[in-house]
Amino acid sequence: MRLTPGPARDVDLTGVDLFDLDLYGSGDPHPLWDVMRARAPLFHQVLPDGREFWSVTRYEDVRRVLSDHREFTSERGTVPTHLGTDDPAAGVLMTSTDPPRHTEVRRPLGSKLTARAVRVWEERIRATVVRFLEPALDGAVFDLAEQALLLPALVTGPLLGIPEKDWEELVRLTAMVTAPSDPHFLLGSEAATLAISHHELLTYVRDWARTHRAAGQEDESLLHHLTSVRPGGEPLSDEEIALDGYSILLGANVTTPHTVSGTVEALMERPEQYAKAAADPTLVPNLVEEGLRWTSAACNFMRYAVDEVEIAGGTVPAGGAVVAWIGSGNRDASVFPDPHTFDITRDGAKRHGAFGFGPHFCIGAPLARMTLRVFFEELLARFESLEPAGEPQHLRSYFIAGLTHLPLTGKKRRTTP
Amino acid sequence: MGSLGQEIAELWGEHLGREVGVEDDFFTIGGNSLSGIKIIEQVTEQYGVTLSVRDFYLAQTPARVAELIEQGRTGA
Ligand code: HEM
Repeated sequence: MRLTPGPARDVDLTGVDLFDLDLYGSGDPHPLWDVMRARAPLFHQVLPDGREFWSVTRYEDVRRVLSDHREFTSERGTVPTHLGTDDPAAGVLMTSTDPPRHTEVRRPLGSKLTARAVRVWEERIRATVVRFLEPALDGAVFDLAEQALLLPALVTGPLLGIPEKDWEELVRLTAMVTAPSDPHFLLGSEAATLAISHHELLTYVRDWARTHRAAGQEDESLLHHLTSVRPGGEPLSDEEIALDGYSILLGANVTTPHTVSGTVEALMERPEQYAKAAADPTLVPNLVEEGLRWTSAACNFMRYAVDEVEIAGGTVPAGGAVVAWIGSGNRDASVFPDPHTFDITRDGAKRHGAFGFGPHFCIGAPLARMTLRVFFEELLARFESLEPAGEPQHLRSYFIAGLTHLPLTGKKRRTTP
Repeated sequence: MGSLGQEIAELWGEHLGREVGVEDDFFTIGGNSLSGIKIIEQVTEQYGVTLSVRDFYLAQTPARVAELIEQGRTGA
């Protein structure tokens, strides 16, 4: 999807299909969401196969749906791709568990992913980022979106404790989970493709844990930590470890690359913002927040209404699926004045909901923020400017807002500051 | 063959908590990767045949999974 919207359009909302993949692959959903926030903040849609859902698009409503687990449960699934199929991992998988049990499931991982805990990885991540940018320094065309898909593997791999040789396969499997109907991935049916990729990811982590336990190894990795903790006096089961590992792999692999590419695209379109950040590196943390808001790589998450509920001037029936459009909430003018202006000095950029809200607030946010900060510090230090070198291409997904291709060329700084 | 298909249908039934027929489709009757992992493990234990993950999900019915087990036995 276009992150810089085209001219405002007066849209007729009757018959609008928010799950139309063309809208994201080649279209421009922002003008549509603008109209929804103004005129239909609760938008009901029935899919051709009869499944139905309600969309909220305003910032406050997005926040309420994602954070209030008493009204809106995560236990039946949170990813709109699975609309209508209850999540089999409810109560075990962190994302599909409500408080109070959620608090317990989340604790063992949470303690290892706080801002303080991830700080020890900063220099290692910096070295990785420097190596990552090297090929672009000679002025050749560099497809950032394609290359960035490997970035989380390079960053998260050592942290998780996963050997480098396995990453390519894991990246492919996580991509399969997010786009099971993509012809690149499809095996038999969409359901079979999802099951195969879930299965292989889960058994990969489970087998890692088994081998690791059997060898009696100890290290600093996150997965080792999971094999050794005893929340409530009991070690985690293989299945619990597999699901935690799965969440991390998915959470990290499918969002960080698109935030990198989307933010770089915004900067290329606005060379003056690039120059401003390069002149004053203390602006980088706010640039990162504005980039997160702007790209909103996790475009939405879903909940189910526990009881009948009033929201956004309408009513959702008990059991109704509610999709909270983060990408739209992050362009709500009542919170972000001139929302379609990308401004690295924006006040309050950090209020964005790109990491969600409430109990499920992204557990990887400190790691993602640090990775992005280091990435932009190194990028700005090395390149005087960046130029597009071809048409960007967008992911055909209504769940993940992303780029598949972003060819560019960089002009190297003569002296690296 | 018929009886092996029946055994597999029963095994699925235990994991999915319902009656399963030999021609039932795994995904239509609520099968998913979590039950799939357990079923494949149990097939390895009980029949000494390690099913390929892909073959298992693409087979999709107890009857066809039974065929895979037969092939695995004769192939082994
Ligand atoms: C820019 C990068 C990222 C974005 C935009 C992002 C976005 C999100 C969002 C919106 C949620 C909330 C889901 C909900 O409310 O149901 C979430 C949860 C989560 N994220 Fe991230 N994420 C990012 C990076 C990461 C990384 C690097 C990791 C792993 C280290 C990660 C792991 C997770 C996990 C495990 C959850 C589930 C938390 C829970 O349910 O309690 N994410 N993420």
